[in-house]
Amino acid sequence: MIKFENVHKHYGDFHVLNDINLEINKGEVVVIIGPSGSGKSTLLRCINRLETISEGLLEVNGVVVNDKKVNINEFRKNVGMVFQHFNLYPNKTVLENIMLAPVKVLNKSKEEAKKTAMYYLEKVGIPEKANSYPSQLSGGQQQRVAIARGLAMSPEIMLFDEPTSALDPEMIGEVLDVMKALAREGMTMVVVTHEMGFAREVADRIIFIDKGQILEDTDPTEFYNEPKDERARLFLSRILNH
Amino acid sequence: MDFIGAYSPDNLMFLVEGFWITLKVAAISIVLSFLIGGILGILRYADIPVLSKIVAAIIEIIRNLPLLLIIFFVYFALPEIGVKFSIEASAIIALTVFESAMLAEIIRSGLNSVPKGQIEAGRSSGLTYIQTLGHIVLPQGLKKMVPPIVSQFISLLKDTSLATVIVLPDLMHNAQVINAQSINYIVPIFILVALMYFVVNYILSIVTRRLELKTS
Repeated sequence: MIKFENVHKHYGDFHVLNDINLEINKGEVVVIIGPSGSGKSTLLRCINRLETISEGLLEVNGVVVNDKKVNINEFRKNVGMVFQHFNLYPNKTVLENIMLAPVKVLNKSKEEAKKTAMYYLEKVGIPEKANSYPSQLSGGQQQRVAIARGLAMSPEIMLFDEPTSALDPEMIGEVLDVMKALAREGMTMVVVTHEMGFAREVADRIIFIDKGQILEDTDPTEFYNEPKDERARLFLSRILNH
Repeated sequence: MDFIGAYSPDNLMFLVEGFWITLKVAAISIVLSFLIGGILGILRYADIPVLSKIVAAIIEIIRNLPLLLIIFFVYFALPEIGVKFSIEASAIIALTVFESAMLAEIIRSGLNSVPKGQIEAGRSSGLTYIQTLGHIVLPQGLKKMVPPIVSQFISLLKDTSLATVIVLPDLMHNAQVINAQSINYIVPIFILVALMYFVVNYILSIVTRRLELKTS
C-alpha cells in the first residue's frame, strides 16, 4: 500500500533520507522510531507529500506521490494525518473542525458531515465536546478530536506524527487507547512515536531509523529483545532506562 | 483670541464643509486601499513564483516614499504625461496607493502569524491551497490584523490633511482659509479642528477595542 524505492531527500547539504526502501501493506501498523533529527518525521511527511522527495520512487495507494501530475488534493483524501501539536483550527468548534474537509473536499451535505463527525466523536469518547472550542479542551481531548477529524474523511491510511509527545503524561493513555482500537479495526497506520508500550502491543513492525537510514525493520518482540544494530541497541537502552 | 468671531456660523459651516471632504476622501481611500491592500497582501503572502516578488518590490518602493511625494506625483507629474485628475481624485489616488502598500504589509504579516501547522492540517485533509487560505488562514489572521488595520485607517484619516498642498478643500485647508481672516482666530480654530479630528479617530479606536475584546 505504501512503497518507498531508493528514496533520498536532501535539505541543501543535509541528507535527511538516505536510500529508503520500505513497503507497508494494507492493515499493517508500523511504528517508526529513532533519535531526534534521524529523519523519521520527514519520512512520514513524505507519504502525503507534506515533504517532497529528491530522488527515488514513492508509491501510495497505487499513486506515484512524487509525480508532478498527481492531483494531490484528490490523493490526500485517502491519507489522514495527526500531528504532534494537534493543529486543530482554533477559530472553529470541535464539530466544525471535523466537518470542514468532508464538506469542502468530499462535498458531503452539512447534515451528513455532522452525523459522521458525531459518530467519530463518540468513537474517541468525547461527544459532549462537540460545540466546544479547541482551547476549552485538554491536550488529550484535542488530540482525540484531531484523530476524529482525520477519520471523518474515511481514509485508507492514517499517519501519526508523534501524537503523544506534546501531552501531559496522564493524557497519553487516552490517546493511545483510541489508536489501539483503530489498529485492531484494521486501519493501515504509520506511527512515529517513542511509546514503547504501544509499539509492543499493536505494532506489526518496528522501523528504526538513524541519520536518514533504515537500520532495523523487524517485529517488535525481536526488536526489543535483541536489536541487531548497535545504534538501535544504544537508542533503546537510552529510552528504556531514562 | 476671538472665539466668538472665529466660531461665526459662516466659519463653522465652512469647517463642516471641509470636514465633509476630509471624511469623504478618507472613506473612499479606506475602502479602496483595503481592497487593493488585501489583494496585494495575499499575493505577497502566497509565494507565487515571480508575481509575489514583483508585488513585494512594488510594496517596498511605495512604503519607503513620503506620502507627500506621492501626492505631488499624482497631481503634478502625471499630467506631464497626459494623465490628469481632479484635486479630489488625485488625493484619493495618492492616499490609496500609499495606504494599500501599508495595509498589504499588515495583512501579509497577519497571515504569516498563523502557524504553519494550520496550513499543513488543512492541506493534509485534501483542502486546496485557496480553500485552506479562505477557511483557515484568513479568518485567523484577520483577528490579529484588526487593530493594526484600524490604526492604519486612523493615520489615513489624518494624512488626508497633507492634500492641502494640492489645495484640496478639506478640514485643514478650510481652517487655514479662516485663519487668514484674522490672527485672533488661529487658536480657537485649531482647537476646534483638533477636536474634530480627535473625535472621529477616537471613535474609531474605541470600536477597535470593542472588536479586540470580542475576538479574543
